[in-house]
Amino acid sequence: MTIVQPIQIQVAQKVFESWDKIGVNGRAEKLLNTLVSFSNEEKKMAAWQINNAQKEIAETRVMPGPTGERNELSNQGRGPFLCMSFVESDKAKVGLVGQVFTALIAGNPVITVGPTGQEIMDLISPFVPEGVIQNIAESAQDSLIEANHLAGIATLCDPMQAQLLSQRLAAKGGLICQLIEEVDSENLSVIAKPHYLLRFVTERTVSNNTTAIGGNATLLELGSMND
Amino acid sequence: MFKAIEVLQPNFIQRPLNELWQLISPLYKMDEEKWLKELLPLAKPTDEALADHTNAASKLIAEVRNDDDSMSMIDALLLEYSLDTKEGILLMCLAEALMRVPDKETADAFIKDRLSVADWASHAKNSDSFFVNASTWGLLLTGKIVTMDENQDGTPANLVNRMVNRVSEPVIRKAMNQAMKIMGHQFVLGRNITEALSRGKSYRDKGYTYSFDMLGEAALTAADADKYLKSYEQAVESVGKDTYSKGHRPTISIKLSALHPRYEVGCEERVMTELFDSVKGLITKARALNVGITIDAEEADRLELSLHLFEKLYCDEATKGWGLFGIVVQAYSKRALPVLVWLAALAKQHGDRVPVRLVKGAYWDSEIKLCQQRGIDGYPVYTRKESTDVSYLACAHFLLSEHTRANIFPQFASHNAHTIATINCIATQLGATTKEFEFQRLHGMGDALYNRLIKDSDICVRIYAPVGSHKDLLPYLVRRLLENGANSSFVHRLIDASYPIADLIDHPVTTLESRKSLANPHISLPSSLFDDRKNSFGPNIEIGSDWAPFKAKIDVFMGQDTQWRAFPIVGGEKVETGHTHAVLSPYDHSESAGQIDWADTTTVTKAIDLAESAFPAWSTRPATERADCLDKMADLMEENYAELMALCHREAGKTIQDSIDEVREAVDFCRYYAQQARSHFATPATYTDFLGQEKHAKLNGRGVFTCISPWNFPLAIFTGQIVAALVVGNTVVAKPAEQTSLIAFRAIELLHQAGVPADVLHLLPGDGATVGAPLTSDKRIAGLAFTGSTGTAQLINRTLAARGVAPVPIIAETGGQNAMLVDSTSLPEQVVRDAVRSAFASAGQRCSALRVLFVQEDIADRVIPMIKGAMQEQSVGLPYLHSTDVGPVIDKKAQTMLLEHIEHMTKEAKLIAQSELPAFANKGTYVAPTAFEIASIDQLTDEKFGPILHVVRYKARDLDKIIDTINNSGFGLTLGVHSRNETTCARIASRARVGNLYINRDQVGAVVGVQPFGGQGMSGTGPKAGGPHYLQRFAIEQDL
Repeated sequence: MTIVQPIQIQVAQKVFESWDKIGVNGRAEKLLNTLVSFSNEEKKMAAWQINNAQKEIAETRVMPGPTGERNELSNQGRGPFLCMSFVESDKAKVGLVGQVFTALIAGNPVITVGPTGQEIMDLISPFVPEGVIQNIAESAQDSLIEANHLAGIATLCDPMQAQLLSQRLAAKGGLICQLIEEVDSENLSVIAKPHYLLRFVTERTVSNNTTAIGGNATLLELGSMND
Repeated sequence: MFKAIEVLQPNFIQRPLNELWQLISPLYKMDEEKWLKELLPLAKPTDEALADHTNAASKLIAEVRNDDDSMSMIDALLLEYSLDTKEGILLMCLAEALMRVPDKETADAFIKDRLSVADWASHAKNSDSFFVNASTWGLLLTGKIVTMDENQDGTPANLVNRMVNRVSEPVIRKAMNQAMKIMGHQFVLGRNITEALSRGKSYRDKGYTYSFDMLGEAALTAADADKYLKSYEQAVESVGKDTYSKGHRPTISIKLSALHPRYEVGCEERVMTELFDSVKGLITKARALNVGITIDAEEADRLELSLHLFEKLYCDEATKGWGLFGIVVQAYSKRALPVLVWLAALAKQHGDRVPVRLVKGAYWDSEIKLCQQRGIDGYPVYTRKESTDVSYLACAHFLLSEHTRANIFPQFASHNAHTIATINCIATQLGATTKEFEFQRLHGMGDALYNRLIKDSDICVRIYAPVGSHKDLLPYLVRRLLENGANSSFVHRLIDASYPIADLIDHPVTTLESRKSLANPHISLPSSLFDDRKNSFGPNIEIGSDWAPFKAKIDVFMGQDTQWRAFPIVGGEKVETGHTHAVLSPYDHSESAGQIDWADTTTVTKAIDLAESAFPAWSTRPATERADCLDKMADLMEENYAELMALCHREAGKTIQDSIDEVREAVDFCRYYAQQARSHFATPATYTDFLGQEKHAKLNGRGVFTCISPWNFPLAIFTGQIVAALVVGNTVVAKPAEQTSLIAFRAIELLHQAGVPADVLHLLPGDGATVGAPLTSDKRIAGLAFTGSTGTAQLINRTLAARGVAPVPIIAETGGQNAMLVDSTSLPEQVVRDAVRSAFASAGQRCSALRVLFVQEDIADRVIPMIKGAMQEQSVGLPYLHSTDVGPVIDKKAQTMLLEHIEHMTKEAKLIAQSELPAFANKGTYVAPTAFEIASIDQLTDEKFGPILHVVRYKARDLDKIIDTINNSGFGLTLGVHSRNETTCARIASRARVGNLYINRDQVGAVVGVQPFGGQGMSGTGPKAGGPHYLQRFAIEQDL
C-alpha cells in the first residue's frame, strides 16, 4: 500500500537535506536576519536559541582515540518538525518562537500551525529557502500528526494534551516520532534551557581509517620527536 | 627477565632450544624502559669505537654526496615530493589506486579529486631527475599538451585546477596513467622474473646480487595463494636456470601471507600442514636448483607462528644441511634478540648456518595502531626510532660475534649510512671478514650509498627487488613506502645536501641516552590512550605469553562442572520464584551453562516499589560518589574477566575475540560515563537565560528507569544502559534478554559489590509478557532505555504512552538495513576483508552488521569471486576455539527465521557462496554464512539478524540513486564506504542519513567515547550510547 504523505511533509523532506547541509553557522546567518520584526522578548528568545546552538552543536567534535583513524561527532537535524501551541498568550508565543528557532537552527524544516504560526512563518520565510518553513491551517493539523515521516512535534500544551499527543504519535508505525512538550508555558522552564536543543538533533559519527592507503605521518613524526 | 648481555657468552646458545624459546614471547610487550636498559650495553661502543663509527659514517656520507650520480630515481622522487607534503601524499595516493580503476568515469573523478587540492606546478623542474620531472609533467598534463603562460594562467597554485577543468578528461587520464607507469617501472624491477633478471644485469655487473620477491597483497582465497605459489615456483625455476656467472647467486624472498589465505595463529594447524607443504615443495625445487629462499617477516602477531613453521621446515629432510634457507628478523621488535639467539641455537643444534636478514621493520605504525585499538598493555615495538637503531646494533653485535657467525650468516638490510658504517666497524672489531656477512638494500633506494660501498670493499650487496605487474604491485609498495617514508627518515636527509652531515652521524645510543626517558612519552601506552580515563584492557590472543595464562583462567569456568545458578535480584536478595529455566549453550544444546529463575509479577512490583522509594536518597548523593561505583564496577569486571568471558562463550555463543570486546566495551561504558558524570553532573552549570539573567541549572535523575537489553551484547549493552541511568541519579529495574540472563545476574552482583545500594538496582529476568509488560506499563516508570528490534521499540513506546501519565524519555537503539558502498578506486583485498568481517563476525548478530554490499559494476567480477573465496576460508565452529571465525546464532527461533530467509533468497536471488558447517552443527543452532547477489535493496523487506550478506551491483553514475534508496529504507544505523576518492567519500557522508559512517574500514565494533554509536530514523531515537550527550537524556535539567 502506498502511503500518501501530506504535501507539506513532501516539501519539507525535499528541502531538508540542503537546509541541514548549510550547517549551524550558515543557518544562524540567515535566521539572525529574521529577528528584526519580532517583538522584543521573542527576538531575545530566538537570538538565545541561535546563540546556544552555535555554542553547543556547531562544531564537529574530534573524538580521542587510537592513532591512524579520525573519529568525528557532529549533529544533524532530524527531519520535518511540527511546531504548535495549544496555549494562547504572549508568553506562549515567545515559547513557540523558541521552539521554531530551535528546530530550524538544528537543521530541521518546520511546519507551523494556524494564525500564530502564520505570523511567525511570514517573518522568517523571506530569509530562508522556500519550504524550510511552512504553515498549515489548524484543520490540517491532524493529518500532519499522523504523517509517517514527521520527525517530531514541539508543542506548548497542558499535561493532558501532551499525554494524548504522545499516544497518537506512539500509535503510528515507522520511526519513533519525538514529542518535545512544554507544559509550563508561563515560565518556559523546558524551552529556555541549554540542553533543550539536543532533543531536535540526531548525532552522526564518521570514522575514517586515515591509514587505508598506508602511512601515518603523525605517528611517524611522534616516533622521531626530539625531547 | 632475560639478561641481554649474556648472549655474548659463547655458551649461551648451547642452552636447550626449548629454554631459549621461552625467552621470546614474554618480551612481546615488555616494559620498554626496562628492556632498553638491557639492550643498551650491547649496542654501546667504547669511546674509541664511537670515534671510529662517527668518522666512518661521516666519511661515507661525504663521499656519497660527492658522487655525481648519487641520487636514485626513487630517492629523487622522495626528495621532491617529500611525504610530509600534501603533494607527496597525494602523488602516492594516485599511484596506489589509479592503475586499478577500470572505468573512465571513476578514474577521471579520482584524478580530479587528487589534483585539485595540491600545488603540483611548484614542483615542475625543481628536480634534476628525469623521473621526477616526468611524473610532475605527467601530473601537469605535459608541456606538449598544455602550454603554460604564467601571465595568462596566473599563479601556479591555481594553474593545475584550471587545467584539470580545461583539458579534456581522456587526455588527463592518459597523461596520469603514463606518469603512474613511469613510477611503476621505478618501483618494480620487472613484470616477471625474466624481465627482472634482464633489467638487473647492469647492477650485477657492478657487483650486486638480488633477492627477488613476487610481492603483493596477502592472499585472501585459496586461488590467490595458489597463484602466488606458482609465481614463486616460476621465479625459482628462472633463477635456477640463470647463467650469469659473476658474483653471488640471487635468491628468492617469500611472503608467507601470500601463500596461505589463513596464515594466522588461530589456524596454526592449517599453517603447519597446508602452508608447510607449499613451502616445502618450494624449498625442494629451490634446493635442487641451488636458489636460496628467505622467509620475509610480517606483522608482530605472526612472529611466533612463523618461527614454528620455520623450525619445522628447517628440521625437515628437504632442508637439512642446505644452508640457504633463511629468515628475516625485525629489529624494531622487542623480541628480535631472543629470536636471533634461538635461531643460532637451532642452527647450532643441526651443525648448520642460517642466513638471517636483519631489517628495522616495515609495519611500525600499524603495530602501534593495532595495540591501541585492542587495548594491549604494551607495544611489541619500540616507540622511538633511535631505540630501533639501538636494537639493530645490539642484534648486529650478537650476529657478528664469533660464536654466532658459525651458525648465522647475517644480512644487514639498511639505507642508513651511519648504520652501515657502524656495522662495518663492529665487524672489523669482532674479526668478521666480508665473506661472513652481507648488506641488503631495496630496489630503487640507497643506490648511492651502496655504489660507494661496493667500490670500496668486496662485500656482497644484495638488492631486494619486487617483481610483478605494476598494477598489482604499485599499491602494495606505495603503502610500504608511506609507512616508512617520514621526512625524518635517513634516506631523505642523506640526499638533502642542505642537511648538515654532523646531524646525521649521531650514534643512536648517544641519542637515546640523551632523552629524558627511553620510552617515547609522546606515544601513550594503550591503557593511557585517553586523558581523562583508563582504557580497557584486552589480552592478545595471538601471542602465547599473553594468551595462554589468560586462557587457563577461562578454562576453569568452561567445564560442565561449572554451572551458574541465577535468580531475580530484588533489594539485593536472590528471589526464588520456582519458574526455573535451563540455559543451554547455543553451540551444543546438550551442554548446560546453568539455571535461572524468572521473575513473576509480584517480584516485578516489589522491585519497582523499592526502586521508587530508594530514588530520593540515591538521586541526592553526590554524582562523584555514584561515579566511583562505576569505576569500581569497571575494575571488578576486569578482575572477573575470565568468568565473564566464559559466560559469553557458554551462554551467548560468543567467540574469543568477541567475548574480549564484550567485556572491554562494558568496562569502557563504566569509565566513560563515570568521567562524564564527574564533568557535567557534579556541580550546577551557570548560564545566562534569554532575558539576560544568570541562572544555575543542574541535571538530576528522573526517577525509576527501566532498562531492557538484548542478547547480542549481553554484558556491554546491559551494563551500559544501567550505569548511565544510575550515575545520573535514577534507580533502575533491569530486564535482560531471556537468552542471556546468567551474565546479567553476575553483572548485577558485581554492581552491588561496587557500591550500588541494594534497593537502587534490581534484576528482573523473564519474558516480555510477565516482566517486560509491567515494566513498561507501570505509571512510576520515569524513563526507559531499550535496545532491540524496531517493532518491539514501537510496542514499548505505545505501552508507555498509554499509561495516562506525562510522557517520559524513551531511548531506543534499534535495527538497521546496513549497507556498504564500494567504488572502483577501492582496493578489492581491503574491501573483501572488511565486508566479510562486517557481515559475518559475531554470526552477523550485531546491530551494525553489514547486510547489503553495493559494489560498482566495473569491479564486481573481481570482488564477488573474492568474497566467495574468502567465505570458503571462514571457519564455523565452537566459539571458544581460536580457530573459529563464526559461532552459532543465539537460538532456534533466530535460526529458523534465518534459514527461511536463505531458502527464500535461494529461489529469488543468485547464491554467491555459503560457508561450510561443522559436522556437529546440528547439536546447536548454527547458520552457515551465506551471500546472495540481488538486483536491488528493494528485494529485502526487513533486517535479517544473522550471517547473511546481499550484494548489489551498481553503476558509478547511479551513486546518488543508491544513497536515496538507502535513505528511503527508513533505517539509518551504519554505512560503510570504500573509496580512495575523498570527494566521493565526502559526498556520501553528506548525503547518507545514518548514525555511524565508516570510511575505508569495517563497519562494526564502535568504541565507547571514540565512536559514539546509535542510529537515526527507524534505527533509533538517540542520543548515542558512549557519546557525550547520552547521559543528559536520562536526566532532567532544573534551575536551582
